[in-house]
Amino acid sequence: METATLKKTSKKDYRQLIVEGFVAHVLEHGKEPASIFKFAKDLKIKEEEVYNYFTSFESVKSAIWVALFEETQRQLEEQEVYKEYSVREKFLAFLYTWIEELKKNRSYLLCLYQDKSSTFKSLPKDTRDFKEKFSDFASELVMEGKETQEIASRPFISEKYDEALWMQVGFVFRYWMDDRSPRFEKTDAAIEKSVNLAFDLMGKSALDSFLDFAKFLYQPK
Amino acid sequence: MSKQVKEQGSIPVSKVQRAAKFISTGAKVGGNYVKHYAKKMVNPSLNREELHQNNATDIYNSLSELKGSALKVAQMMSMDKNLLPRAYQDKFTMAQYSAPPLSYPLVVKTFQKHFQKTPEQLFDTFTRSAVNAASIGQVHQATAKGKTFAVKIQYPGIADSVSSDLRLVRPFALRLLNMNEKELDHYMSEVEERLLEETDYNLEIARSREISEACAHIPNIRFPKYYDALSSERIITMDWIAGKHIKEWMETNPSQALRNQVGQALWDFYHHQVHNLKQVHADPHPGNFIIQEDGTLGIIDFGCVKVIPEDFYQGYFALIKRELVMNPAELDQIFYELEFISDKDTEEEKIYFKGVFAEMISLLGQPFHVDRFDFADDSYFEKIFMLGDRISNDKMFRSSRQARGSKHGLYINRTYFGLYNLLNQLKAEVDTTKPDWLK
Repeated sequence: METATLKKTSKKDYRQLIVEGFVAHVLEHGKEPASIFKFAKDLKIKEEEVYNYFTSFESVKSAIWVALFEETQRQLEEQEVYKEYSVREKFLAFLYTWIEELKKNRSYLLCLYQDKSSTFKSLPKDTRDFKEKFSDFASELVMEGKETQEIASRPFISEKYDEALWMQVGFVFRYWMDDRSPRFEKTDAAIEKSVNLAFDLMGKSALDSFLDFAKFLYQPK
Repeated sequence: MSKQVKEQGSIPVSKVQRAAKFISTGAKVGGNYVKHYAKKMVNPSLNREELHQNNATDIYNSLSELKGSALKVAQMMSMDKNLLPRAYQDKFTMAQYSAPPLSYPLVVKTFQKHFQKTPEQLFDTFTRSAVNAASIGQVHQATAKGKTFAVKIQYPGIADSVSSDLRLVRPFALRLLNMNEKELDHYMSEVEERLLEETDYNLEIARSREISEACAHIPNIRFPKYYDALSSERIITMDWIAGKHIKEWMETNPSQALRNQVGQALWDFYHHQVHNLKQVHADPHPGNFIIQEDGTLGIIDFGCVKVIPEDFYQGYFALIKRELVMNPAELDQIFYELEFISDKDTEEEKIYFKGVFAEMISLLGQPFHVDRFDFADDSYFEKIFMLGDRISNDKMFRSSRQARGSKHGLYINRTYFGLYNLLNQLKAEVDTTKPDWLK
């Protein structure tokens, strides 16, 4: 695993060792280890030691998703210009950086999530923690967007905007998994276009004026 | 490219959106026809001008939103003043200017992909938004170490979408140009080839250098320098050329002498390319020319270069020789070679089209028939438009579903229409030089 946060291995850092060992196993064998027992044996550590950090492979995978997300955020914070971005640009920058992070681990992700039928069940489980963290990030973006008027507040719907952004993350991920274009340029185009569409829909539009007008007509004179 | 057949669940969203865009345009254009005939029932004197106007607006709107190669086709059409009714042209010419920009995060991402660095790390300053829209990308201004650069960035995935975009444009082109499909494909393949070349920025840099060096001796012309270390397949970094585009420059009321100087530089530039280099900057739209304070002409954007095949060159330019119009046998021969007429035509058609083309050529060749030509003469352009309108409204011409003219002529015509147009905008009088064999 090349991700910078996961790289800082000290001898004693078992958590790190386990995550890397897991990724290496998936990359080499194309599937998860058969059992924690076997996995611990291969790593030459005690099985109990593994349980101090992770109680299942699911939680290891979940930790990897979270690490990818946190690394993305760290990189975004590093960019001076990020703070000056509008909400739309922030979300675009997030997706572009995130996809770059995923790219470093593409083989690992393909091994685990290429098969659509099994992914259907495992992906939501593996990404539960990631989703939670992302939702915090997304709600912050939505709040900021409402302040700057980039996002229109609408009753009921606007509370679900962070959900919508999460779905978009899912869309981009699936698109990227299938992308065969050189340098994944199609994914870049897909991000650009889908985010623009999403923010155009969330922004104030003709629909709001229409609803407002309809409400007005409905009122008794 | 390594594009594979994708599963049903993952149709490229961009393509779906693109198709949807065209469908909605189609619906609108259809609506315009309905409106037109409805109005016409009430008011029989109504002409088609308004209908064309409405169609042009709708088609233009959708093309400019699509960006990329569709926009390029709009540009092509806007150049071909002879083929399209006036209303289409005015709208299409607008396509040369602005189109929705690329987001800054994507610009950053493109830089990171190619240089592993952000624009801020490479340059001292870098504009957040584009200063100019190019047809398949956009231009940012940057500075580093006291120098100013123009940085052109290509839209991701454009190269892949060229062919599918062209397929989407086809039904409109069929409708507008009144050609049958086979004939249209004859031209479309040429357009596709040029467009694909245009997405290759490495090729563009190589050609820019080659032509700039070959034209370096021409007075009053300047080319930007290109920087390899800051360029890649999707990014071109070159010198920023400060100055004004022709339209703005004309607003500063330059003197006739200065206008002639710029016009002459332009003419010499094309003369040298066409007759000596046999390859030509085939994109003479106003955005590619910048006039500097001192009246030198900056030339940018060698994305579209047409190499002129020798036999086409001989035939095409032999036509502008003045006496030739008088020599029917030789003329027939050239008309056949340039595919203006073919054996598929009836005798009647042959006679008609020979007449039409002879008239067109003698008119378009006029600047070549004299030593010095005043392009400020609007009546000359009026004559060209009138001829174009008259021909395209002629029953005989409209009913012929044959494509006429060699496909090489597509870009050469476009180049000359563009050149005449620019010179007209400049109101310049230039020495219309020609190679010795044409004198």
